[in-house]
Amino acid sequence: MLQCIFLLSDSGEVMLEKQLTGHRVDRSICDWFWDHVISQGDSFKSQPVIASPTHYLFQVVREGITFLACTQVEMPPLMGIEFLCRVSDVLSDYLGGLNEDVIKDNFVIVYELLDEMIDNGFPLTTEANILREMIAPPNIVSKVLSVVTGNSSNVSDTLPGATRSCIPWRAAEPKYANNEVYVDLVEEMDAVINRDGALVKCEVYGEVRVNSHLSGLPDLTLSFANPSILDDVRFHPCVRFRPWESHQVLSFVPPDGEFKLMSYRIKKLKSTPLYVKPQLTSDAGKCRVNVLVGIRNDPGKTIDSITLEFQLPPCILSADLNSNHGTVNILGNKICSWTIGRIPKDKTPSLSGTLLLETELERLHVFPTFRVGFRIMGVALSGLQIDKLDLKTAPSRLYKGFRALTRAGEFEVRS
Amino acid sequence: MVFRIGTDAHLYDDPDDVSIAPLLDSKFDSEKCEALKRLLALIAQGFDVSNYFPQVVKNVASQSLEVKKLVYLYLLHYAEKRPNEALLSINCFQKDLGDPNPLVRAWALRTMAGIRLHVIAPLVLVAVGKCARDPSVYVRKCAASALPKVHDLSLEEHTSAIEEIVGMLLNDRSPAVVGAAAAAFASVCPYNLSLVGRNYRKLCEILPDVEEWGQIVLIGILLRYVIARHGLVKESIMYSLQCTESSHSAKDGSDVDSGLVKESTDLSGTCDSEFVNTVSRCYMEGPDEYLSRSSCANRESFELNGAQFTSGKSNDDVKILLYSTSPLLWSNNSAVVLAAAGVHWVMAPKEDVKRIIKPILYLLRSSNASKYVVLRNIQVFAKAMPSLFAPYFEDFFIFSSESYQIKALKLEILSYIATDSSISSIFKEFQDYIRDPDRRFAADTVAVIGLCVQRLPKMAHICVDGLLALTRQEFVTEDFGFEDQEAGILTQVIMSIKSIIKQDPPSHEKVIIQLVRRLDSVKVPAARAMIIWMVGEYSSLGEIIPRMLTTVLKYLAWGFPSEAPETKLQILNTVCKVLEGATGDDLWTFKKIFSYLIELAECDLNYDLRDRARLLKKLPSCNLVSLGLEEETNDLPENDLLHIVAECILGRQTRKVKPESFSYRYYLPGSLSQIVLHAAPGYEPLPRPCSLLLDDLNVAEGTSEMKRAADYSGTDDYGSSSDPSDEESASDYGSQRSVTESSGSDRGDDSEFTSEGNYNADPLIQISDIGNASENQNGVSQSSPANLGELMSNKALESWLDEQPGSSNPGLPKQSQVRISSARISVGDVGKRVKQKSYSLLDPASGNGLKVDYSFSSEISSISRLLVCIEVFFKNCSSEIISEITLVDEESNRAFDSADKTAVVNESSLTSSDDVPTLVPMESIVSLEPGQTTRRILQVRFHHHLLPLKLALYCDGKKLPIKLRPDIGYFVKPLPMDVEVFIDKESRLPGMFEYARSCTFTDHIVELNKENGDSLLVKDKFLAICESLALKMLSNANLCIVSVDMPIATNLDDASGLRLRFSSEILSSSIPCLITLGVEGKCTDPLNLSIKVNCEETVFGLNLLNRIANFLVEPALS
Repeated sequence: MLQCIFLLSDSGEVMLEKQLTGHRVDRSICDWFWDHVISQGDSFKSQPVIASPTHYLFQVVREGITFLACTQVEMPPLMGIEFLCRVSDVLSDYLGGLNEDVIKDNFVIVYELLDEMIDNGFPLTTEANILREMIAPPNIVSKVLSVVTGNSSNVSDTLPGATRSCIPWRAAEPKYANNEVYVDLVEEMDAVINRDGALVKCEVYGEVRVNSHLSGLPDLTLSFANPSILDDVRFHPCVRFRPWESHQVLSFVPPDGEFKLMSYRIKKLKSTPLYVKPQLTSDAGKCRVNVLVGIRNDPGKTIDSITLEFQLPPCILSADLNSNHGTVNILGNKICSWTIGRIPKDKTPSLSGTLLLETELERLHVFPTFRVGFRIMGVALSGLQIDKLDLKTAPSRLYKGFRALTRAGEFEVRS
Repeated sequence: MVFRIGTDAHLYDDPDDVSIAPLLDSKFDSEKCEALKRLLALIAQGFDVSNYFPQVVKNVASQSLEVKKLVYLYLLHYAEKRPNEALLSINCFQKDLGDPNPLVRAWALRTMAGIRLHVIAPLVLVAVGKCARDPSVYVRKCAASALPKVHDLSLEEHTSAIEEIVGMLLNDRSPAVVGAAAAAFASVCPYNLSLVGRNYRKLCEILPDVEEWGQIVLIGILLRYVIARHGLVKESIMYSLQCTESSHSAKDGSDVDSGLVKESTDLSGTCDSEFVNTVSRCYMEGPDEYLSRSSCANRESFELNGAQFTSGKSNDDVKILLYSTSPLLWSNNSAVVLAAAGVHWVMAPKEDVKRIIKPILYLLRSSNASKYVVLRNIQVFAKAMPSLFAPYFEDFFIFSSESYQIKALKLEILSYIATDSSISSIFKEFQDYIRDPDRRFAADTVAVIGLCVQRLPKMAHICVDGLLALTRQEFVTEDFGFEDQEAGILTQVIMSIKSIIKQDPPSHEKVIIQLVRRLDSVKVPAARAMIIWMVGEYSSLGEIIPRMLTTVLKYLAWGFPSEAPETKLQILNTVCKVLEGATGDDLWTFKKIFSYLIELAECDLNYDLRDRARLLKKLPSCNLVSLGLEEETNDLPENDLLHIVAECILGRQTRKVKPESFSYRYYLPGSLSQIVLHAAPGYEPLPRPCSLLLDDLNVAEGTSEMKRAADYSGTDDYGSSSDPSDEESASDYGSQRSVTESSGSDRGDDSEFTSEGNYNADPLIQISDIGNASENQNGVSQSSPANLGELMSNKALESWLDEQPGSSNPGLPKQSQVRISSARISVGDVGKRVKQKSYSLLDPASGNGLKVDYSFSSEISSISRLLVCIEVFFKNCSSEIISEITLVDEESNRAFDSADKTAVVNESSLTSSDDVPTLVPMESIVSLEPGQTTRRILQVRFHHHLLPLKLALYCDGKKLPIKLRPDIGYFVKPLPMDVEVFIDKESRLPGMFEYARSCTFTDHIVELNKENGDSLLVKDKFLAICESLALKMLSNANLCIVSVDMPIATNLDDASGLRLRFSSEILSSSIPCLITLGVEGKCTDPLNLSIKVNCEETVFGLNLLNRIANFLVEPALS
């Protein structure tokens, strides 16, 4: 079981330590860790499981914050990693993002949360909705209150109803004047286009997010118009397995508030909404770059927040890149990013310019990969459609809402 | 800055800019809070602030929850450092443990258990025991997670008590508690699998509802249990271990199953059987033992036989495990998915394993960190059964954003799962990867191409062409100071080509020629050396190569001085090899080249090279400087020897290199050890199949067993007790018991007298360690040290123990102040030895030679629950035939009025009571021969459980008045129940519903004396006492035995602490009636029994109690 959790800032400073069991872990383990990060660089930071001389370390890096957990005995490594991911999710949810300052500023809440989330090295309460009832997230009101009165407690003095009810994720019988339930389809498209311009793979990972404010103990059923296209699924604990097995129907008693009902994967999609055509020709110590971006299949809604990013190969001395639309930046770590936004009606955005190679090099022999980002509101590109959402014993006033969103996941174009 | 207003930022930035001590002593909670937050900030930043401990501890009594929480956080951090001060807080925790707010109780328990002080371990244990029965799920959950802390703290001392609580919590109704209990089980007593067995079905059913973290642990526990109990599954991947190792047994076994297995193996496609064998063996015994043994070629010690396998298709326990884990493959938590997949991997029939593939692949989309772990597991799966993953090769295509480790793993997996149909698209991908900016990754890709071709020789030509094209690329051969990485790629290319050629040299003749042509442009020494090696190795291959040898060697000799040492060595070797096979004209040229090279090499700067030159010079094939000497030296024996040496050194090395899998280690899927590739502390391979013995099974299925036993004693066995043949079977009645770890080895001798044959008879006594709640509830440990007593009064502890949180029972009996850790045994069936007492209804003297005896039957009337069954024996003791015997109710002729006056309490509420006759008319006996005995079952309704019933017996036309005396012991019927249920019920019947009496008991002395006298068998005294007590009870009342608690810590002569529980329900009203017998005193002396009856029916209960006390005092029937 986990013995200790450390939160490290991106400069290696230990911001917080939480001992979980009687077997204390000395802080020096963090020094050992950071020494290796410095000497081995990123490859060390990308190792999720590290065997140090004294402890096994699990690390998860989020937004520059390193979550480090230590154990000395055998335990499922995924349990440690998944827990750290959960912690980081909860913290960023509570603190509205993760960074060094926000953790330091709210260290008491972080301590209180960690104390509720894990007991004696074993996860205790990790459901975000329940934690919210136990420890109030900081908000404007509480901040103002604490400034005015000098006193504010964010620790709830009663046990959340959920721990009493038979449904561990739902507080007992909340009351709402307006009964609302919103269902969002959030999809991420992963695609790989190879050097010949062929679509190697294109798939969608989606989530069904539900925001429910329903009185009492609602029993919901959600069904899809075309469940057969789903390749694989994963569910929130509230979803009953058997109805899904038999009819592909989601039957569940939702937690109160916002949560991820299910995630799914749809494989072998035929096309992408955008095309990206990179052309690199190099000779005589130079490389000419020309990238065109345009709409291939119009999804019916506007595609916005289009970005293109690529890492310049290490053998390039300097780059001179311009675009006819949007802005081009070359960041310090040789990452070139082109922010396009929306595609204008009158022209095709293009990026062109030359890269200057190292002096001895005649030609470029390694080619960068372009990572594409975009967002489409109102469309689920996979084509998954929600058929209906039913509520057993529907209250008099029930508002149901549906939304969809697609954005790029790992969208890569090789050149 | 604005955002930081109102947060605790200033506290973190300057935690000690005000003096903290006065704030801690402040009257205001807000100031205390601030001080504590400052301390917390200092802790976070790694400062030692333990010097504030005394002041902080004082605040533990604060009413503010926030202060409390902060104090707890502080205490937990420092408690171990400042044990003495920490003790000061104990009283407060105990007060909090009685708080009506469950949150406060839970926090107090968590903190109290977290203070790692050995002296308070007993106190914590008591508190945990109490909280384990708390009405709040949250508190029970915290109790479960506190158990490992206590266990960790007190090590061996309280193991059995802790295990009892674990068992109890595993049986909890709430899935949340079960999850935490599973975690406690895994860290407290992972080997005590019988504890799981008891609830196995229930645990499987509850598994999908358990919270996710508990699921991870519970899955592992259930898997271990099933393997220990039933063994491995024949159709699963683990079975291959038997197929290969002892294939003879499969042949002579001639069972259909083995045939099936072979079919299914073919069905599921190819799987690397040798590899699977290694992996599954590693799973079973841990790679370290396995590998060390296989190296000394002694595999005999671990032999699996067919009996250790079970069929997954017919074994229900296996099926239910697979059924209940399969929905978990859809879990949101990647650890749960992997754990469930691990179960299927080990246990599922091969053709069903594929259902884990999609969920595992889905995990690749979760966080980067878990992606790595999942890939490491897929790596093993894919190597063992490539066919499973072959259709999903696209999932292993690489994104440029992935880290190098992930890319390398994906490449390796791709090389395992490539098939003829997928290889072309995989190669297309590989071509892209080679041009990736990450050159290390590109080099790996080239290596993997070589590996793929080894698996799929069909692709050899295409691959080699592609690889050759690479060598032509400028970037790898260009002259300018080649970067290491590019050189690495080129070397890797040549290496891959080499390995491909090795598979089928004749068909790749042209490739070698092309490579030789490229010698001029390939400048990387390692790559050059390899090409040169190939020239030597394949010098006699085909037509063209021998012809070009002269030119090539001349070219090499010419460039020799400027080569790198590595290349020089290869040039020497190659020339030697060529000389070996050379004939005719070329021989002369080669010799000249050779002597030239030797000369050069002998004065090289590199000593390796000089040595090599000298060695080669001495070899016969090379040592032919003067041709004429050849024939003369030929007959010299040492020259022959030298030839052989030369053959050995330079000859073809066609021997296949063993696959590297044997040097590899494998651990269970999903384990930490599998990731770090060494056994992490606490890693356990799977338990030995079927190591959980049948004895344990009885314990394991204790609940059902007990029910059955109760049924037996209730009905069947009474009938058989009249059968004389059963008398003897009672004498060889053995006790089948398994001694669990907790009960220690001191009872080990008992199992020796357990005979196999006895298994068929139901076991008499089994030891199990069912969670013994009431034990924990009662009393303070005596072992709590004295210094603790100084700090806190026992009174305080008692007071919180008594005031139950919430609503539950106010007045619990304080039976003993001594907390005895005890194992529990359950007495199965003593029914065969039970002799019902018979009473005389009519003696022959007054009945004209008719003797009528009766005894109470444990049968239950089917007509009405008001009726008691009585077995009546009519015996004709006279010399004449007696005819027309019948029994009637005397009062039935009269009006009911008198009967109604005596109507008893328990009837008054029943509306139907009037309809039930006092005596169900008996089938009359037409005639009874002299000496003949006839048996009749009477169903009688007693008007009162104490007053006799007047009946009339008619025989030969005469009327004889008789009185039937009731026995209250048979106004009840057995009510089978669990110990937990029993304890639960008992706790709900306190105070006025509980009656106790004490008496002495002597039966066992006879038993013990008899035992000592007539046999050499050393019978456990406790067992004898239990038996005689149980026998006595069951022969005098219609009860059902629930459990027997054995004291273990005490010495063997002291029976104190022995406790038997019986349950029953009142026939007429179905009100449960619980009886507990407590034993005090020495085994060999008369024992003091305390009898306790819990029953809602006050009068009945008291009368029953008196009756029990009476018959227990009665001496045994000899």
